[in-house]
Amino acid sequence: MMHCTMDDLLALQAGEASGWARSHAEACATCRGELDALYQRIAQLKALPTRRPARDRWPAVREAVVAERRRRRERWGVWSVAAAAAVAGLLVFRPFGTRQADAAELARVKQESATLEQQLGRVDPDARVMSGRAAALAAALEDRIAVIDGELARLGPLEAPPGPEELVKLWQQRVDLMQQLVGVHVTRAAYVGL
Amino acid sequence: MTISLAVPDILVARAKSGDLEALEALYRAFETPVYNVALRMLRSPEDAEDVMQETFLEVVRSIKQYRAEGHLWGWIRQIAASKALMRIRRNQLRATEELHEEAAAGPGGVGVPARVDLERAFERLSETSRAVVWLHDVEGYTHEEIAERMGKTVSFSKSQLARAHARLRGMLDDEGAAP
Repeated sequence: MMHCTMDDLLALQAGEASGWARSHAEACATCRGELDALYQRIAQLKALPTRRPARDRWPAVREAVVAERRRRRERWGVWSVAAAAAVAGLLVFRPFGTRQADAAELARVKQESATLEQQLGRVDPDARVMSGRAAALAAALEDRIAVIDGELARLGPLEAPPGPEELVKLWQQRVDLMQQLVGVHVTRAAYVGL
Repeated sequence: MTISLAVPDILVARAKSGDLEALEALYRAFETPVYNVALRMLRSPEDAEDVMQETFLEVVRSIKQYRAEGHLWGWIRQIAASKALMRIRRNQLRATEELHEEAAAGPGGVGVPARVDLERAFERLSETSRAVVWLHDVEGYTHEEIAERMGKTVSFSKSQLARAHARLRGMLDDEGAAP
């Protein structure tokens, strides 16, 4: 007589058995006994005594956790320094570089303005005959230069003077006006374009 | 093994924030059940302790991801089972299980209660068989879950379980027949 295999018994225990296995187990005392034994083994496995670890592993776990956190902080510290350096580069070095560039530009435009002043000083306006229109243009340019000079004179004594960028802009405007003024006197008023 | 571990939410919250005292409290609450799962699946107490340590390291690292959708023990048990299965795979690379299975038999369980007989018989199974039996019959994992965690097929899990029970039955019969 063919009996249930262990696969059949496990399927019966799981409620997934074939029709043959179910009907056979109902009719066969041997297989019912085997199925009971299977249930008992599983129940006994669940009732196995609880074992306790011989050693306390928490100190090792704690040490590993603390070491990981320390490494993470150190990594973060390195990244923070790098990030701070990058930010400092953006916030400090770049503006510093910009300020250096602005200062150089300021010196350049001041020098250019001084050169134009010298150039204008070599021109004897009174020795040249100017058209009325040219004379009016020269006067307008001189007025505008005077306004800029007044602005530069006002900003100079301030405790917190504007940044080089603004001064460069003013001086550059002065240079442009001076170039036009020189142009009026040296060449022709038509070159001024006013 | 029936585990009814109720852990206060505040303790879990503190553990999530990295509080070492709270993490130690979780360790104390779950060290024995974790050790037992590992011990039943593995062969040696040392391996089980190692798995317990690895499990709690993983718990500490991952507890922020724990969403309290199930019992905390269920979550920790999954980690423990995964770590134990990883250890079994590692052990399999070192030794042939069948040799262990035959050689690990100790003295017979004459005159001792059936529970101890079963425990000794269970210890003689290969680690893979132990893992399948324990996860299926005691922890309530399905064959699909076991197969997924072991990287095997469902039929592998089923055949391992059947084979293990056949061996247990045979060993218990032998011990029962011993003078």
